Amino acid sequence: MSPDPKAFPQAARDALKDPLLRPALGRLKTHFGAGRAAAVQRYGDFESLREAGKAIRDHAVTHLDDLLVTFEASVNARGGTVHWARDASEARRAILTILQDAGAGTVTKGKSMVTEEIALNPFLEANGIVPVETDLGEYIIQLRKEPPSHIIAPAFHLSKEQVAQTFLAAHTGLDPKRSLEERNALVQEARAILRAQFETADAGITGANFLSAADGAAVIVTNEGNGDLTRLLPKTHIVVTGIEKVVRDMTDVAVLLRLLPRSATGQPISTYVSVMAGPRGTAETDGPENFHIVLVDNGRSSLIGTEAQDVLRCIRCSACINHCPIYGAVGGHAYGATYMGPIGAALNPGVMGVAEAAHHANASTFCGRCAEVCPVMIPLPKIMRHWRAVEYSSGLAPKAITRGLGLWAFAAKRPALYRFGTRVAARLLRLMASSGMVRALPVKNGWFAVRDFPAPHGKTFQQQWKARR
Amino acid sequence: MSARDAILESIRVRRLARAPMPGIYRAPRSDGDLAEVFAKKMSAQHADVRMLDSMAEVPAAIADILRGRNMAATVHVPPGSELETLALPNVEVRRGPPGPFDAAVTRAPFAIAETGTLVYPSGKGAPASWHFRPVLEIAILRAGDVVAELEDVLAKLGPLPSTLNLVSGPSRTGDIEQTMELGAHGPKALAVLVVRH
Repeated sequence: MSPDPKAFPQAARDALKDPLLRPALGRLKTHFGAGRAAAVQRYGDFESLREAGKAIRDHAVTHLDDLLVTFEASVNARGGTVHWARDASEARRAILTILQDAGAGTVTKGKSMVTEEIALNPFLEANGIVPVETDLGEYIIQLRKEPPSHIIAPAFHLSKEQVAQTFLAAHTGLDPKRSLEERNALVQEARAILRAQFETADAGITGANFLSAADGAAVIVTNEGNGDLTRLLPKTHIVVTGIEKVVRDMTDVAVLLRLLPRSATGQPISTYVSVMAGPRGTAETDGPENFHIVLVDNGRSSLIGTEAQDVLRCIRCSACINHCPIYGAVGGHAYGATYMGPIGAALNPGVMGVAEAAHHANASTFCGRCAEVCPVMIPLPKIMRHWRAVEYSSGLAPKAITRGLGLWAFAAKRPALYRFGTRVAARLLRLMASSGMVRALPVKNGWFAVRDFPAPHGKTFQQQWKARR
Repeated sequence: MSARDAILESIRVRRLARAPMPGIYRAPRSDGDLAEVFAKKMSAQHADVRMLDSMAEVPAAIADILRGRNMAATVHVPPGSELETLALPNVEVRRGPPGPFDAAVTRAPFAIAETGTLVYPSGKGAPASWHFRPVLEIAILRAGDVVAELEDVLAKLGPLPSTLNLVSGPSRTGDIEQTMELGAHGPKALAVLVVRH
């Protein structure tokens, strides 16, 4: 399966028919949704915390150039190196150069959506470097050669039986009759195999949840501890992250740390929070000897000053995804993009182009749950509506939609015609109904294959309104 | 133009307005003794938390924790740390880095009550990887070193060490069917000895 955002409509239809997806999607509400709700309840005044998080991220996005310059100076002062990449290809090349200079053959990786976005792994493999994903979910999907289906739970779509089959097929050196029925057996098997990789890797690549400009530090949150073994055991540590992750200092980070895990998994804090600033000090016996940060733009700066600027506040918690009825029906792979759900719908048209990702902006019921749960108050439906308007005005919308909307607009501008039309339509629908329900219409339409439509009672809204006045 | 300058320029030319400086945020605080709040929150995160009266009780507690987990009476202690002077009768003390089935004893210079979190700045005698290598980490914490929130640690710490680790329980993963399993890459168990005096 090669990811293609333009194939979303068909991929979504296929996903709806996939019985293996249903149990996973059911866990969105029972695990992520319920977890967040309980955590928010326990915190107390979560709204003030959201306001504070929004203010910090808004300040950062509108001072991004200053903060990045400060960040770079702080990293240099600590003996690290900052690399800048305008796009995915520059980012891949910068990482490859660092790895080649370090003479690296194997590189362990902590979870990083930016390295998914820039398609790093296939590029490294093509250049003779072996990337090993170490986050359990990422490791599973790397073995299966699949993209992540969720931004914080990459193997979200899989059952433990599917994971067991994957391990049996991949770990051929182990007893083929071993029991992998229990989840913990799977976890322990991966732990043993990956520990050996940590010990021998030449370099480690992680992402960053936040960057502190004042400290030149990258902050990651994990529950497994894989990000830390990735940083601390090899000689070279490379952080790959988006330019928008930078904030002023660790005090800003402390506020955002209260929002991120609660919004993501419902935890008050992730098991590990690691602040990583430069290579090891002179008195230290472990930690990397070389520290690099690759700052990736890849379309982000082009959103500044546009209707979509607020999307840069995102801290990638996945709350919008976890509460989205569209994601909840079709899952992550259907989107054919690194970022799925509402955040993908708001971000992808901006960075990939509307022609490429307009389907994502249309994949919304506008129920507004995403904006309600967003920890930094991104107006996601408003941004999706903006991309829909761009799609329409640049003539990219499907003909059926533009013609339909044109017809509606023609009538709506002529009140007499509009009133006549609605009266006729109401009467026609009544004629076609049996026992008060319309069950089919003589047009090509999937609607009636799975739903009935209540027939109008008689008079239109406008007629009733007139009578009442 | 370099990639650096191009990115900075792209930000500058597009920016329409700047958002104001954020105000200072004050998180809600739990009432009560900070060490007690810490112990309660840390226990809720699947750690084995024990309150001790004095450092004299530490050796017996360590031996008891090892016995309780059916582990050999061997612990790894970071070379160059103040723990090297700790007398542990009947327990073999090793100085090398702990392997994936070993126990390590560490000293946490700070802890946070708000989230039940141990704070470890890396440095001399404080190797960061030791919080992730062993199967069991036994942390020694003085009750007086528990502060209310992360902001307090940052104020006490000054310039950051190369690595600052916040640890809130043993390693875990929810990556298979969103169901929590302990011991993903880091320790399967975390014991915290909170020493009152």
